[in-house]
Amino acid sequence: MSAVNDMNQAQAVESVLLEAVNLALHYEMEHDESVVLLGEDVGTNGGVFRATSGLKEKFGFKRVMDTPLAEALISGMAVGMATQGLKPIAEIQFMGFIFPAFEHLFCHAARMRNRTRGRMSCPMVLRAPYGGGIHAPEHHSESTEALIAHTPGIRVVIPSSPARAYGLLLAAIRDPDPVVFLEPKRIYRGSKQTINNNGQALPLDTCFTLRQGTDVTLISWGACIADTLEAADKLAEKGVSAEVIDVATIKPLDMRTMLTSVVNTGRCVIVHEAARSFGVGAEIAAQISEKCFLNLLAPVQRVTGFDTHMPYFKNEHYYLPNSEDIVAAVDKCFREA
Amino acid sequence: MKYFKLPDLGEGLSEAEIVEWHVKVGDTVKEDQLMVSVETAKAIVEVPSPQSGVICTLFAEPGDVVHIGEPLVEYEGEQDDSGTVVGDLSLSAKQESKDDFIVGSAHSQNNQSVIKATPSVRALAKRLEVDLSHIKPSGEDGRITTNDVEKAARLNFDKGQSESLKGVRKVMAKNMAASHAQVVPVTLHDDADVHGWFTKGNPTQDITMRLVHAIKQACVAEPSMNVWFDGEHLTRRLLTQIDLGIAVDTEQGLFVPVLRDIGQRSLDNLREGLNALRGAVKSRKIPPQEMQGATITLSNFGTLAGKYANPVVLPPQVTIVGAGGIRDEVVAFQGQAVVHPILPLSVTFDHRAVTGGEAARFLSVMLEDLTKASVEN
Repeated sequence: MSAVNDMNQAQAVESVLLEAVNLALHYEMEHDESVVLLGEDVGTNGGVFRATSGLKEKFGFKRVMDTPLAEALISGMAVGMATQGLKPIAEIQFMGFIFPAFEHLFCHAARMRNRTRGRMSCPMVLRAPYGGGIHAPEHHSESTEALIAHTPGIRVVIPSSPARAYGLLLAAIRDPDPVVFLEPKRIYRGSKQTINNNGQALPLDTCFTLRQGTDVTLISWGACIADTLEAADKLAEKGVSAEVIDVATIKPLDMRTMLTSVVNTGRCVIVHEAARSFGVGAEIAAQISEKCFLNLLAPVQRVTGFDTHMPYFKNEHYYLPNSEDIVAAVDKCFREA
Repeated sequence: MKYFKLPDLGEGLSEAEIVEWHVKVGDTVKEDQLMVSVETAKAIVEVPSPQSGVICTLFAEPGDVVHIGEPLVEYEGEQDDSGTVVGDLSLSAKQESKDDFIVGSAHSQNNQSVIKATPSVRALAKRLEVDLSHIKPSGEDGRITTNDVEKAARLNFDKGQSESLKGVRKVMAKNMAASHAQVVPVTLHDDADVHGWFTKGNPTQDITMRLVHAIKQACVAEPSMNVWFDGEHLTRRLLTQIDLGIAVDTEQGLFVPVLRDIGQRSLDNLREGLNALRGAVKSRKIPPQEMQGATITLSNFGTLAGKYANPVVLPPQVTIVGAGGIRDEVVAFQGQAVVHPILPLSVTFDHRAVTGGEAARFLSVMLEDLTKASVEN
């Protein structure tokens, strides 16, 4: 990982998603003195995934703080710091541990601007590795983005590639309101990309179209994007042209991009790892049915995890959606047309 | 080199003492295979191997105290340290991955107009075998209603199914409509007295080739009838070569293959060429290029029936010649009433580009050429 630290001064860096996060943190901490880091093991240890590696050495213990094992403390401190002029980036070590942090996130961070009629805002970022597929024990594979998305006042952002992780994290840090930045840990060390370390942020609140197509719209985010792209390839071999959209910002949803796509294709499949019922897919499906009703050639399909907790690692692959499941869902769309 | 570090044993324990190794250096282990027993402050814990592999190094001896996160075992292999304490991050074999993305939505690639109908209306249309693309929607936002579908079904039942035009018929519908919208057509009709063809000793005349020859002569005399006219930009291109489109009627519809450069080729050669084109049309093997680029067209409908016509000028051409069927008529000839074979002729021209005088002179040259007993090859 030290290679990345040396290279963070360089412009173009080949990085995996984890290294892209580290690059973005380095960049922003260097250019904005109000940015501070806090969390468990983020300082001396550099983070259990090495996401914050090198930051304490570079910026000192006053800006990179190792907290006690207390998530409520982490989010509470972040709220306090944020309202008083700092830009805290709090790390929750695994999304499974985020529940005690919800108190301050939902009751205060999400409401600060509303409560103070705009006098105070809460420019904090809560980062957490999220999602399953790494053979981990209980509490280490959560994807409860729907819980956070349902709460007004908080942005939820989920990158799916190193380049988007870099750009979106920078945007999240610079945003004046609370952002929960969920990093799909299954692809932390997935494929590498060349990142231009120029501090350029990507826009929040917009989807990204990864592939253009005319027959079906595939909507997904996070680690499932890789499976969705694989499914799109398989569908192309069968003569079906799939459009792939990376939602990226889960809340607020960029429905415009998704609706435009479904108007053109008439078919939609939403893919997410999180449990099926009451998931983000349900919200997207409801909005599509509402606004594209006249253009739909088949009901909106969802390919999701099951309504159970993530199973232990031998059964993980049953739980996680894969490209075959997605292709089967697309076939369903065509049968019902 | 893949390391396996002492995992979090839970319950706030930070270290453990090695009790007994169950594997040794060089062993091949399977995932989950029992590897080492360690003793914590509370109990003896059996630690399984997180992966399959070959043991390369053991980092502690029995009796040593190892802290959580310290390496226990090294496997042979080329993978980098994935740096995790909990879980197993797979390292992707993929290197540089292409990841082009568009912010927001892509340009629509679907050029068809979007059909708006609720799912129930679509289902109804399917049941009644009505094609939604044939219906004119009557709903406020341009949507097709149940009523529209039912009316269309009734019409299909009473009058027969409507079928979408395809292929040559579709092209003809579009081309004729386009021509009508642009061209200002004027037709001159006249008769060619061809009794000279049937004089004793005269070889049998190839009617089509006589027409081709006559058109050639007329184009030479009046080149303004063999031009390409652009009505939008108001330009006129005087063409040196005469490429004659010949209308051919088939079961599938109207084809117009092009006989190239009639000005420079012999009639025999042109007859061969025409036969080849007809053959290609009949066998459906004619390539589209053979039907493009005509500078003037001949419609010899007289082979079927008909006398005079106003055939349709196809832009960018400005002239089309229509030849009716040769028939015996009573005509005045040299002061007498006689029965002569007469070839009715129609010339339609686009009056945006051609004057009446030019057309009349063209027609007059055609008539003169056609009345000759025979012409050079």
